[in-house]
Amino acid sequence: MAVWGDLEQPGADAAAGEEFLRAAFHVLLEEAVRKGTDAAQKVRAGGGRGAGAEGVGPSAERCPQVCEWKEPHELRELLDLELRSHGESADRLLQRCRDVIRYSVKTCHPRFFNQLFSGLDHHALAGRLLTETLNTSQYTYEIAPVFVLMEEVVLAKLRKLVGWDCGDGIFCPGGSISNMYAMNVARFQRFPESRRQGSRALPRLVLFTSEESHYSILKGAAFLGIGTDNVVLVHADERGKMIPEELEKEIERVKSEGAVPFFVSATSGTTVLGAFDPLGPVADVCQRHGLWLHVDVSAGETPLSTPSPTSPHPPRSVLQAAWGGSALLSKKHRHLLAGIERADSVAWNPHKMLTVGLQCSAFLLRDESGLLQRCHGSGATYLFQPDKFYDVTYDTGDKTVQCGRRVDCLKLWLLWKAVGTEGLEQRVDRAFSCTRYLAAELKRRDGFQLVMEPEFLNLCFWFVPPSLRGRQGCADFEVLLGKVAPAIKERMMKEGSMMVGYQPHGARPNFFRQIVTSPAVTRADLDFFLDEIERLGRDL
Amino acid sequence: MEASTCKQDLLQKKKNAVLVDGVILNGPITDSKAGGKFVEEACKIIMEEIIQKADDVTEKLASSLLVYPMYPSLVNRDQHSVERASSHVHSVTACFSSIFSDHPRFFNQLYAGIDYYSLVARFITEALNPSVYTYEVSPVFLLVEEAVIKKMIEFIGWEEGDGIFNPGGSVSNMYAMNLARYKFCPEIKEKGLSGLPRLVLFTSEECHYSMKKAASFLGIGTENVYFVKTDESFKSVSRRGKMIPEELEKQVQRARNEGSAPFLVCATAGTTVLGAFDPLDKIADICEKHDLWLHVDASWGGSALISRKHCRLLHGIQRADSVAWNPHKMLLAGIQCCALLVKDNSDLLKKCYSAKAAYLFQQDKFYDVSYDTGDKSIQCSRRPDAFKFWLMWKALGTTGLEERVNRALALARYLVEEIKKREGFQLLLEPEYANVCFWYIPPSLRKMENGPEFWQKLHQVSVT
Repeated sequence: MAVWGDLEQPGADAAAGEEFLRAAFHVLLEEAVRKGTDAAQKVRAGGGRGAGAEGVGPSAERCPQVCEWKEPHELRELLDLELRSHGESADRLLQRCRDVIRYSVKTCHPRFFNQLFSGLDHHALAGRLLTETLNTSQYTYEIAPVFVLMEEVVLAKLRKLVGWDCGDGIFCPGGSISNMYAMNVARFQRFPESRRQGSRALPRLVLFTSEESHYSILKGAAFLGIGTDNVVLVHADERGKMIPEELEKEIERVKSEGAVPFFVSATSGTTVLGAFDPLGPVADVCQRHGLWLHVDVSAGETPLSTPSPTSPHPPRSVLQAAWGGSALLSKKHRHLLAGIERADSVAWNPHKMLTVGLQCSAFLLRDESGLLQRCHGSGATYLFQPDKFYDVTYDTGDKTVQCGRRVDCLKLWLLWKAVGTEGLEQRVDRAFSCTRYLAAELKRRDGFQLVMEPEFLNLCFWFVPPSLRGRQGCADFEVLLGKVAPAIKERMMKEGSMMVGYQPHGARPNFFRQIVTSPAVTRADLDFFLDEIERLGRDL
Repeated sequence: MEASTCKQDLLQKKKNAVLVDGVILNGPITDSKAGGKFVEEACKIIMEEIIQKADDVTEKLASSLLVYPMYPSLVNRDQHSVERASSHVHSVTACFSSIFSDHPRFFNQLYAGIDYYSLVARFITEALNPSVYTYEVSPVFLLVEEAVIKKMIEFIGWEEGDGIFNPGGSVSNMYAMNLARYKFCPEIKEKGLSGLPRLVLFTSEECHYSMKKAASFLGIGTENVYFVKTDESFKSVSRRGKMIPEELEKQVQRARNEGSAPFLVCATAGTTVLGAFDPLDKIADICEKHDLWLHVDASWGGSALISRKHCRLLHGIQRADSVAWNPHKMLLAGIQCCALLVKDNSDLLKKCYSAKAAYLFQQDKFYDVSYDTGDKSIQCSRRPDAFKFWLMWKALGTTGLEERVNRALALARYLVEEIKKREGFQLLLEPEYANVCFWYIPPSLRKMENGPEFWQKLHQVSVT
């Protein structure tokens, strides 16, 4: 039929596409990868900077560094976001690529300290580019043979570091969802009928976590139908660590109300203070009461309690180690997570300290009875056919609540292959050393005041500008101090020289939270960091 | 690339080597020049082994899958070099070159093919590694997401609305389920479900399995998902696998009579197996009558909205309260690219999901914090999935995307005509979308009588 004439040739121009890809790649490599990671950038002549930036002198030309600040309405104009009916030329599109890179924050920059992730690892990046190009979904062996096998190997390695010889797990789209998995699996393990009948058929379930925990625990409780009122926030000490005696008290209280405690989420490395809950004592409490212990080591928040080996329904505790988990790679620092092997589950985010790239979040389970599969599996016949020509136990996708799932293991695997466990350990140790150096420097300088001695990589401090020094006793001191960090932040962003986060915390006014994870950060960057805060805050 | 050679150089150069805990901090631990070169070389490999072979039908799509000498010690303690790492990239691409989802003969899933613009966008986002929670960290990608959501809403037919990009259609469906539940009874966010009336939702028996997984995950329970019959079960030539509205009405009544609390209907626009489109107008009538939230899972079929010729398949979609739409399927945007769109304009997403964490969503920032949209998500860190769709749209324009959809459906139509002409091929039903479902009856079975033995033998055919 003549109508099919249009179908004779492919509908897209592959040659033009490849040419565009090549051109865009050069832009990307130069503008994002090379410039984005280079701290030796010229600065505005008027700014008078130079200290801390290697080999830099004043220059008439301003180059963007960590960011190039634009107000939202301005940025909208610049980007010309509107989607129209006709396409654009390759040149126009390449310019768009340059603009996007230019106005985006360079999280790979050595002076980006704003979040719990930063930096760029080239091996992991190559892994990510490869992942994108292969564009597959990690549900069945037939569709993603390499990655199904690879995921299993990587998860086994992570479990080994936790201290488990076997177990289960899966990569999730983020630590928040990993924590939700833990909650759901714990609920299912305790009450298998909950899968079918839902939570309304159960008694009121209650879970426990530190008041310092990550907000994903609250979000998770709401999402899973447990309810945020049924999340008990256990008091932490002045260092931000959960108090086991308080946990015990709360569990007793909840039991006396007729509700059912089922889950404790411990945190190894809280988001703000970087505190590590005392896992041994917390595990003891969980064991006594039969609660699941989850540890959030993902930068984590929730404490995990370990199940009791003697209890018929081992308690479930989740260890949130999303942030702090990577300390397990360091022989010197893994003591911070002593007791983690007693957890029932762990959430660990290599996309944080290991600079692997978003997202890379592992949910690890000690159970090896197929709990994850029983909890989530539904056996969809169009995808998980039991009569395939290969061993269908390799079709691991049914263990998840997702259908299509990104391949997150390749970037971590490639990085690990490139540097080895020793290389990763070096990075973790280095990050700790950077923090120690900074803490020591900070103490030497006037006007800087530590919130507390850091145990991990979170360096929390106030900068007290000259105008406020000596006024600590005054009535309005804290109010004024609280305005300092936001003002300095605004200045640093508008100059683009660096980025660091701040927040209030309990009764404490806004303080800075400095995080170093990137292996590219040097002493010069750290000195610059303190110099820059001083410079920007001097006249406040 | 690692510290060993760097260390010595540094010790020589610097008079005051700064040593903390045995670690020298003067220089970086990584060699960024070598790193940049590695990325460049890896991209050459990607270009040669994957991109350039992508549309070549003479390349094998799949080789023997089970004979991999897979890595016995995938992670070990060797010292590695750039060359070694590069060879790993080679190995992975070589192994994986047996499965090309961009090969012209890869028809296995609801996604396939390659779009260069989306790939460039994805490369850019990987290099920049942003997280789309706040404007300060991700200014460009937040604004891009906002613009894309606005455009998608336009195609649905709403004047205003809200939305968010999620890690998958399953997660979008969960969002919708939770939103509907929150609208029904906002207290559930705090109180949970224990002791409440039994919430019930309705969906087609042809729906995606994420409905059940979502019901279980959200604490609603899989037995409270009521499956509505479709016309597939009727032996009629017009059967398509579409939900039967009268059956939905019956189920809703049944649920009410049982004393339970119906709260949500999930219609499907483009079912996974048959590619069926539920009759949205009639279903919307029922939802309106019973005050039920109408969610349309258009993860697969949503892209037909871009085609003026085929958007009639989703007639009535503007009456939905929420829509899940995955451009990574027919529009080739790249995994993952999944939007949940919501008609409500009263910040329902935010009210339902926010936790207002003080360390991230500070209220005293120096810019308008309403741009910090991350708090309407269940996630904390979130990928900039809208950007690849945006760049692709800029490159092709709406007309280009429309051509893509029209072509896909024309290809399906061609295949159907050919199947009808050829002996031994039998269509399951007349498709209205891109899903062409058929049996191949080998010569040995063609004379066999239509009975249980025939069907049993036929069942084995596609497996082999």
